[in-house]
Amino acid sequence: MIQLHHVNKRFEQFEAIKDVSLTIDKGEIYGIIGASGAGKSTLLRLINLLEVPDTGAVEVNGRDLTKLRGKRLRDARKSIGMIFQGFNLVANKTVYENIAVSLELSNYPRKERRGRVEECLRFVGLEDFMKKYPAQLSGGQKQRVAIARALANKPEFLLCDEPTSSLDPNSTAEVLKVLEDVNKRLGVTIVIVSHEMDVIKSLCTQVTVMANGEVYETVRTKPKGVKHIDNNPKYFVDQLAKDGEVDRA
Amino acid sequence: MPEILVQYEAQIWQAIGETFIMVGVSILAAVLLGLPVGTLLYLCRKGNLLENRVAFSTLNLLVNIIRSFPFLLLVVFLIPFTRLIIGTAIGTAAATVPLAIIAIAHYSRLVEQTLLDVPKGVLEAAVSMGASVRSVIFKFLYVEARSGLVVGLTTSIISFISYSTIMGVVGGGGIGDFAIRFGYQQFKTELMMYMIVIMVIFVQIIQFTGMTVARMIDKR
Ligand SMILES: Nc1ncnc2c1ncn2[C@@H]1O[C@H](COP(=O)(O)OP(=O)(O)O)[C@@H](O)[C@H]1O
Ligand SMILES: [Mg+2]
Repeated sequence: MIQLHHVNKRFEQFEAIKDVSLTIDKGEIYGIIGASGAGKSTLLRLINLLEVPDTGAVEVNGRDLTKLRGKRLRDARKSIGMIFQGFNLVANKTVYENIAVSLELSNYPRKERRGRVEECLRFVGLEDFMKKYPAQLSGGQKQRVAIARALANKPEFLLCDEPTSSLDPNSTAEVLKVLEDVNKRLGVTIVIVSHEMDVIKSLCTQVTVMANGEVYETVRTKPKGVKHIDNNPKYFVDQLAKDGEVDRA
Repeated sequence: MPEILVQYEAQIWQAIGETFIMVGVSILAAVLLGLPVGTLLYLCRKGNLLENRVAFSTLNLLVNIIRSFPFLLLVVFLIPFTRLIIGTAIGTAAATVPLAIIAIAHYSRLVEQTLLDVPKGVLEAAVSMGASVRSVIFKFLYVEARSGLVVGLTTSIISFISYSTIMGVVGGGGIGDFAIRFGYQQFKTELMMYMIVIMVIFVQIIQFTGMTVARMIDKR
């Protein structure tokens, strides 16, 4: 369980997060939506203390992370995976190395690393891409590698900052499907920040709407499931035709 | 081989050896000290992992001061310091001191600039995975910056060769000094031209090797 208690964060004079409190229960897919600049990313980054709050507490499984320093904070971070809009893979490392480095950081038994990397890649459907470099992958594939990397240490939580915002609809569906799996099959609690309503609606069980650094409202929702995307050209025509007349040229 | 080269063969080899020592020490200083200093400059900068205004300003000023000296003046200015650590201010060993100092300042700046080009997000991902500062540097920062670091070192080495040519003023020797003393001052223009050709060949080899290595290790 993640709990924020009256968290505040300023950047110089600007109040980016104002007195935010919220509770994210175990097993949920929790959405945070709002306009650009509302403070969504900052809020997410407060959860693993990438941003240190000025006041307030960040409790993860009952432990206040703001009280931790050095190694203990780093260890706490290892149980919280994170993925980003820009993927943030190491371009000079292969897919395998990108995931293995996360295992190195947590001193995962050396002999078991290879197996664990393979397992994670299989989970995201990229077991054949181990030797490739990020530059050789599509956006959706990069994000799936990032998910595999975040999962390597068997985290309890996965923080996602606009995970699909730079992807085309196909890749978006592909990534959302994986995130759904991560939650359903691995029981990982997910927090998704997005400005895209469709993304939030398809997965989230609870959603906080942010505005101007504050919680505007938190609502329970029923996840609609990930929309299947058809690559058939007819699908595109049908979609175009759905909301009105189409003049065939 | 041209007669004049045969005639001066021993001195030429010695001069090449001196240049190698001077440039070699510069490279060592650049890698062993310039790289850490450049990394610190980067890390201490505002918004970065070890943000520290005092440390940044101090290092920044120091590097700037060293780099703003005309090199010849730096050599003279450092004579007392050189004498302190080498025991003499004259000779090839003594010449390596100012060369090492300028090498550190020169390469650290290039290191800093190269590191600034590493996407911040990659380091953020590293921190989110629980990486220590040390791990962030060695497992992420340098891996992502490695090709730029090699290009920078290549550029630096070529500057070191150029700096080493004036070390004749403190009896450092080297190819540049040989070309001046024997070629220029004794009006053996041909000999001077050959020395220039040797320098050009060295620079070409270094530039080619550096760029090839940089290209090979760049997977971005
Ligand atoms: N490191 C920072 N320094 C200064 N201002 C920042 C910083 N990070 C975010 N902000 C500001 O805080 C506000 C919220 O940013 P962010 O959390 O990224 O919004 P969102 O993700 O909802 O678009 C923005 O106005 C942004 O400019
Ligand atoms: Mg954002």
